[in-house]
Amino acid sequence: MEDLVRAAQRGDPEAMDALVRALMPYVGRVCGAIALDRGDDAVQETFIAVLKSLGALREPAALKGWVRRIAVRESIRVAGGRTVTMDPDTLPLPEVPPADIATSLDIRATLAALAPEQRAILVLRDVDGLSEAEVALAMRVPVGTVKSRAHRARAAFRGRWQP
Amino acid sequence: MSRLGMPTPDNGWPVGSLDPIGRAKVLAATIPSAAFHHGVIDAPYRTVWPWVTDLEHSTPSFDTQVDKVVIHRREVEGDITRLRMTATSHGVPLPFRVRIEDGFCMMRAQARLYLVVMAAVPEDGGERTRFLHMEAIPLPGTGPVRPLIQREVDSDFSNLQRLAESGFPDDRP
Repeated sequence: MEDLVRAAQRGDPEAMDALVRALMPYVGRVCGAIALDRGDDAVQETFIAVLKSLGALREPAALKGWVRRIAVRESIRVAGGRTVTMDPDTLPLPEVPPADIATSLDIRATLAALAPEQRAILVLRDVDGLSEAEVALAMRVPVGTVKSRAHRARAAFRGRWQP
Repeated sequence: MSRLGMPTPDNGWPVGSLDPIGRAKVLAATIPSAAFHHGVIDAPYRTVWPWVTDLEHSTPSFDTQVDKVVIHRREVEGDITRLRMTATSHGVPLPFRVRIEDGFCMMRAQARLYLVVMAAVPEDGGERTRFLHMEAIPLPGTGPVRPLIQREVDSDFSNLQRLAESGFPDDRP
């Protein structure tokens, strides 16, 4: 992977495309879960941002974490979310009518009831398996913010998923 | 994996993707000299894609800058075909390395002197074809030539549309 990153940094189009293919499963998972119906747009914007700024990545070993931060940022932006540096306690838990809760076995509908920032927390912490410190780094917020936001996001998700 | 016992992306979570057109647009947005033309060709995907990726025959038909294409080596690995070929333009032969997948074809000239990408997806249930044609000189400092390349790709796309409308006639000598 390091050779691929170096070649892509030199502007080799085959390496750039190969890097996109290699990162696609991971980026697709992050962007899809955060940006939902606009997941494909978020994927495209993420890869454009990744390739445009690849020269700034000094250590290829840090690629995945660096790409993760871009994917989260672009997904929240494309989904129309607020900035990831906002106070998590001001994030509202959307009101979901009881009828929707009863049929919330649809994951997409459940995720759609959350704010993009809450979806980002769920994906990074509970699906991607990152530590609170890693989530904090990816979302550029303090660890304490991640804890409180994760608690609220999980509560919201659990309440809708397991009413 | 999930501490909440939530489903994985493989069993229900939404997963974003990048179709061949999006993949080509990513390259077009990040290679300074890249120019592309994106539109719909009024012919079925099942006709268009095999025709355009028969590079020896298709390229000289729709790209007026290419006199001849000769394939020297062909390797097929699963869904990927890799070619070594020479495209002759105005009498000058240029070696290319080619990667062809379903809906995506990248042709890179030796020493990165030129790059051609073609991407396609079925449109209207496959009866028409969304197609993107991109060309670039993927070398530093080549951004200013983009308007010239844009004229070429616009011309190539028009030729491709015209050929599709007439059923891709085989008028080779």
